[in-house]
Amino acid sequence: MSLLRLAWRNVLRQRRRTALLSLVVVYVSVAVLFLFGFLDGYGESLVEAYGQYVEAPVVVAQALWWEDRDPEHGLRVMPSLTYPLIQAMSPRLSLYALLRSPYHVQGGVVLGVKPEEEKALSRVPSKVKEGRWLSGPGEVVLGYRLAQRLDVRLGERLVVETGQGALGLEVVGLVQAGVGNVDFAGVYVHLEDARRLSGREILATHLALKVPRGQEARVAQKLNENLPQGFLAKDVWELMGPIRADYEGSRLFYLPLLALFMLLAAVAVVSTVYVSVRERLREFAIVESLGLAPIHVAAQVALEAALAAALGLMAGLLLGYALLWYTSTHDVFGPLMRLSVELLPEAGLSEHLYTALRPIYALYASLVVVLSALLALLFPGRLVLRLDPSHYLRGE
Amino acid sequence: MKGMLVFPWVLLTLALAQSPLEKLQEALDRLRGPAHQGVYELRVERPGLVRTYRLKVYTDGKRVHVRVLEPRSEAGQAFLSLGEDLYLYDPRLGRTLRLPPAGRGERFLGSDLTYQDLMGRDLEELFQVGEVQGVLVLTPKPGAPTPYGKVEMYLKDRLVERILYYDQRNLAVRELKLSAYQRSDGAFLPREMELRDVEKPGYRTLLRIAEVQVGPVPERCFNPLYLERGC
Repeated sequence: MSLLRLAWRNVLRQRRRTALLSLVVVYVSVAVLFLFGFLDGYGESLVEAYGQYVEAPVVVAQALWWEDRDPEHGLRVMPSLTYPLIQAMSPRLSLYALLRSPYHVQGGVVLGVKPEEEKALSRVPSKVKEGRWLSGPGEVVLGYRLAQRLDVRLGERLVVETGQGALGLEVVGLVQAGVGNVDFAGVYVHLEDARRLSGREILATHLALKVPRGQEARVAQKLNENLPQGFLAKDVWELMGPIRADYEGSRLFYLPLLALFMLLAAVAVVSTVYVSVRERLREFAIVESLGLAPIHVAAQVALEAALAAALGLMAGLLLGYALLWYTSTHDVFGPLMRLSVELLPEAGLSEHLYTALRPIYALYASLVVVLSALLALLFPGRLVLRLDPSHYLRGE
Repeated sequence: MKGMLVFPWVLLTLALAQSPLEKLQEALDRLRGPAHQGVYELRVERPGLVRTYRLKVYTDGKRVHVRVLEPRSEAGQAFLSLGEDLYLYDPRLGRTLRLPPAGRGERFLGSDLTYQDLMGRDLEELFQVGEVQGVLVLTPKPGAPTPYGKVEMYLKDRLVERILYYDQRNLAVRELKLSAYQRSDGAFLPREMELRDVEKPGYRTLLRIAEVQVGPVPERCFNPLYLERGC
């Protein structure tokens, strides 16, 4: 306890120096909190977009369909699925098609759904901006940006063609979900129309399942244990495709970068402590000659570094969590995300991004304190341990 | 007595009068022309750019085999339309591909023409026909896979002279003009065709028959195996 008091007194003795080195820790702590909050928020936004709009929390299909998404590999018999965590389930039929208006032709993926069941499964039906959601065959609902590109309006006919058939469908609704895949490429038709367009005797290409948030991987795993041979369930993370690699790549890139920041902050703290220790070698010699063990003196130096870093950490946590709170409740990154959605319309990005706010980030940020203490023990601490008190007491 | 003379004439006229659908069918039948082979010139005009192709065409009136002769960079490409089936040979790929029915709406050699324009019977299959002041007015059948809201067909001497395509907002978007009909073996062959994109000024495609030889075409010309080697 007296060591701590001594260390605290030394920290306060050079206030300007302490303030400067704490500032480095403040900066790094804020960066750690913000980057973790941003990355987790981005991940949650992707899970939300893919689970609620683009795909589903869990999807079951034939293993062949996962390899080649041709309706040929669709479901001719519906597998019976029972698991307590399944909240809703509906068949879907996806197929590549050509969309033709009098002005433009564009390729895309058409999703055949059961309109009523889809409401329990996806948020898309609740995001109809103009018109209404599907009610029966002969209708199509489009993402509003896709409708702009094709130049079709409500009540007009859109031709949907596949290699097996063609239909003229009436545009009954335009969706604005704020998710790139839906707004730029969403084409929703009745399951019966999709079956006709597929030209094959299939009921659907896959089954979409709704399960509680966070349970996706567990449910997919449990289902895979009991599914008939040739079927495979995938959870939302597996459904993300290339954007998942982008997300995981970002984490891989930022985590070493953060570790480097923390190391540099700790080095900055320790270098300042090192200078301070060199200035006070005579003082340490006297303390040692009065009976304090060198290891205790080294511990005091480590405590000094830890305290200085902790001061910065406290301020950093306050600032960082305030920033995270603000960015987790306000759509600060909306313009940035909208730009990203424009650039990568089919990546499944959402136009809104809120950072995550988790207590564990404080623990990650506090590593800088531990690191500072350890380095202080290693460098200025070693200086104290090698100290020869008689040398200093003689006044040399 | 006078009324008795007029009455049979009215009956005869009514009996001979064609319904709009019959007029359409006859006009489309005549559009196909007789069996022939010939060299067509295709001129694709874009603002600031003109491309000209010379094509060798073999047709029996129902099936068409088209080979690109010029320009040299695209020579060797060949197309075969057999009803719903459309085959394409690309010498750069060295393969013959079968295009899905959706491919019939694709642009032919980057022009304003689609494969459907060249050979199709869409106007008969997808539209219901009426007549307004001598003009055939075609409106899509319910659920018909056509992006157009209306098509007007102007006939002259029971031959198609002009086809005007409208979008679903009643605005004209494409105009096809056919002229210089040549009569041969009881069939008619339009020797000039002009297609204009009404929405885009400067976008125009002209198709002109430079040489034509009316008569039977060897059956092998309509075999996909002969797309690569020629017939």
